[in-house]
Amino acid sequence: MKDLQYGDRIIRMEGVIVEVHDGSVGIDLKGRLGFLKVPMRMFISDYPIKVGQEVAWNMSFVEQLGPEVNEKYISNLDTYLRRQKEMREKNQNNKEV
Amino acid sequence: MSITAETAKEHAHDPAVLCCRAEAGITIEPANLEDPAIFDDLVDSGLLCLDGCLTIEEVLGAKLTKTCDSLCPLTKDVLDGVNAPTTEAPAEEAEEVEEAPAAAPVAAAPLKIHIGEGKDINLEIPVGALGATGTAVAEVPAAAVATAAEEQEPKLIRSLTRKHFNITEVKRGPETKIEGTTLYIREGIEKECIDSQELVYDLKIDIITPEDYHTYSETIMDVQPIATKDGEDEIGSGITRVLDGVVMMVTGTDANGVQIGEFGSSEGYLDENIMWGRPGAPDKGEIFIKTQVTVKEGTNMERPGPLAAHTASDMITQEIREALKKVDESFVVNEEVFDQYRRPGKKKVVIVKEIMGQGAMHDNLILPVEPVGVLGARPNVDLGNVPVCVSPLEVLDGCIHALTCIGPASKEMSRHYWREPLVLEALHDEEIDLCGVIFVGSPQINAEKFYVSKRVGQVCEMLDVDGAFITTEGFGNNHIDFASHHEQIGKRGIPVVGLSFCAVQGALVVGNKYMTYMVDNNKSESGIENEVLACNTLCKEEAIRAIQMLKNAMGGEPVKAAEKKWNPNVKASNVEVIEGVTGEKIDLVKNEQSLPMSQKRKEKYD
Repeated sequence: MKDLQYGDRIIRMEGVIVEVHDGSVGIDLKGRLGFLKVPMRMFISDYPIKVGQEVAWNMSFVEQLGPEVNEKYISNLDTYLRRQKEMREKNQNNKEV
Repeated sequence: MSITAETAKEHAHDPAVLCCRAEAGITIEPANLEDPAIFDDLVDSGLLCLDGCLTIEEVLGAKLTKTCDSLCPLTKDVLDGVNAPTTEAPAEEAEEVEEAPAAAPVAAAPLKIHIGEGKDINLEIPVGALGATGTAVAEVPAAAVATAAEEQEPKLIRSLTRKHFNITEVKRGPETKIEGTTLYIREGIEKECIDSQELVYDLKIDIITPEDYHTYSETIMDVQPIATKDGEDEIGSGITRVLDGVVMMVTGTDANGVQIGEFGSSEGYLDENIMWGRPGAPDKGEIFIKTQVTVKEGTNMERPGPLAAHTASDMITQEIREALKKVDESFVVNEEVFDQYRRPGKKKVVIVKEIMGQGAMHDNLILPVEPVGVLGARPNVDLGNVPVCVSPLEVLDGCIHALTCIGPASKEMSRHYWREPLVLEALHDEEIDLCGVIFVGSPQINAEKFYVSKRVGQVCEMLDVDGAFITTEGFGNNHIDFASHHEQIGKRGIPVVGLSFCAVQGALVVGNKYMTYMVDNNKSESGIENEVLACNTLCKEEAIRAIQMLKNAMGGEPVKAAEKKWNPNVKASNVEVIEGVTGEKIDLVKNEQSLPMSQKRKEKYD
């Protein structure tokens, strides 16, 4: 496994809960630094979870592991997007009918 | 933070470092010293250098000759009247290290350190056995058991018989029936499944034979045995009929094509994503009846979505169950009998299985009428995640219908419970008295976690057990309850062995002094969630290690402290020690390296 070059550069990130589902929460990183969606079991909560609550965690930077492309993920993504497109089209046709 | 005289004694052979500024002329007492539990981190980050540092036993009572700042390692240069170190240092150290985790929960940073160690801890006990005392350790429980055995006979509580029917072919036909070894599934059953659930928009059935293993599949939500109870028998006793050679597999997306249980990314080619032969996974050669369910858009992450997908798929299984009830006895190819014995006089143990209960796909249906069915079961989220006590045979008879959470490599499928290795090993181990299994959900909010955890502790207290296993699937905030269960049971003086996937990625979130006996379920090469279905779930090899560890723990044998970082060799050496003591070879299961690698993937594009 490749070692991270900046893995120990830990910074405190803050965010705001913008989506609450039964199985996951969506978090906007403050300062428009991105969006994070985590499953419930990776989210530690002391109170009932609500949209608008602020959260924080420590993280480091995201580093590439190498220049190679993993074809498995390309293939999955490809299939996944194609399926989504087909289903969207199907939904639309249904509505028109 | 300063330490007490007691801690100083435990850490007599650890480095002595000042916890705060000390003036020249004072006499060193435990209160002047920092807790050695936090040193690893400080050394790693370069804040502390222990070269030439004396040990705690050497510095106690010595006089400081120079004013020193906090976190200053004590060396001969600054002390007068240093004690001589004791000679047996190496031997004693091993035992003392064992206690190190106890001191861990001092501050946030040290806790994390221990997390890393916690994973590795599982390896430790056998390592201890490697030493001169090793063989004696293993024999202690055995001997104790032997004397007790003479006094009381094992008592048969109940039996469960599994009658296996073999299926070699699955076809579609005008009605659902089993003819010989061919299973027919009724044409058009899909429509009824769809109509039965408001949220289900579509359902497709694919029959995947071994030749079709190289097909794309959506994320695998569950793998289930197809089984039914005979006559009026209830789950956990009597007769169960089960089909061999075929399993149900639930997959699905929402109407926008988003995966149900979005984070579980085992989608892709089946043969590259399944760790064959794991208790929860299909075996190579089996036929899959795979449903692909489409639920209403946006419900994939809400509780009703995954539940509807499972309920719709179960309609098909139920029809097969009805057909299975009618099959003639002459087609039984194999009969398995599970006897549940209580063994009075033996060490009484309980298995606590922590299951997901955060909501949506983090849920389980408990005690359906049919094995791994839906009807009659209650979701543990609705039960408030409180402990539910079941018999070992109920576990093996499909009392859990798992909605299975995310993280394909470490989730426990419905089939996992059907073949639960720890329950099986403990059930058949004549040296221990397995009194039952407790399922406890893992709620989302911390306050609720501690609420259910305290109930687990109380149940164990009332059971008067001599030892307990705690298992959990996956990793994440469920490790908070996992640690709390250890504390609640451990503080009642009951030795606890914990089993979880930890390794690198699943490092424990918290730790406490009762978490000294740990078994890591990891089998992946680099210790991570490798997206291969069931790769890092509890297998027989973990069950054997855990049982040996608990026997040692109940016998009062110490455990070596975990290494700072995850080290797969600990497991290897532990397995070796167990093999040496029991004389039985433990076959280790393969990991993802045995699966075909994704190569020339482009050729496979449609």
